[in-house]
Amino acid sequence: MARERRDKKRDKKKKFKRFKPRSCRFTRLRVEFIDWKDVQTLQRLCTGQGKILGRKRSGNSARFQRMVEAAIKRARYMALMPYVGT
Amino acid sequence: MYPYEGMFLVDPVQHAADSDRVEGTVKGLLEKHGAKIQQFETWDERKLAYEIKGHRRGVYLLAHFEMPGDAVDALHADCKLTEAILREMLVRLEDDIPTYLEKSAVYYEKVRSDHEIRRPGRREEGQEDGGREDALPPVD
Repeated sequence: MARERRDKKRDKKKKFKRFKPRSCRFTRLRVEFIDWKDVQTLQRLCTGQGKILGRKRSGNSARFQRMVEAAIKRARYMALMPYVGT
Repeated sequence: MYPYEGMFLVDPVQHAADSDRVEGTVKGLLEKHGAKIQQFETWDERKLAYEIKGHRRGVYLLAHFEMPGDAVDALHADCKLTEAILREMLVRLEDDIPTYLEKSAVYYEKVRSDHEIRRPGRREEGQEDGGREDALPPVD
């Protein structure tokens, strides 16, 4: 039981360390802007602690990463998203 | 006159007691500063990501309006003086409001379809954390 759990944990760690090169999802979707009210999407671009994922993790293009940053910061100000996780 | 998007976080207690009065206050403030409200909506009460002025929950009001640019500072100042408003955010839009609403509808359609492709059936999970899914902005 415990070993199973440990194995699972190890698998997770491995996955976390190895990044697959990803394409920018926003470029692929051809969106024009990123809505700061769209918490569902923005949450995917944050860690569980609420940190913004870097471009290597998220695969965003530079242009959209800038937009994402601005959007998350706006959402944080309005308490739609946390500044720090609990 | 520029198009703006304004979001106001209001006291959930006051809003629950008399929603018309609170919404009227916000609308009144906007009109006082020469805003032409084109769309006004109220989101459901939801949990805040962190405590603001002793409140753990809040009601969001979302307005789209046209307002002269020099009224922005005065509006911010007035919001600070209004007790019912906990926080406000004004964003100037690049397009006029009908275009913006159209674009936003397209945006949400694309993004939601992407969610479905990436994680099919994940929608139910949102309900676990207190039905926050329901509190998401309606797709305009």
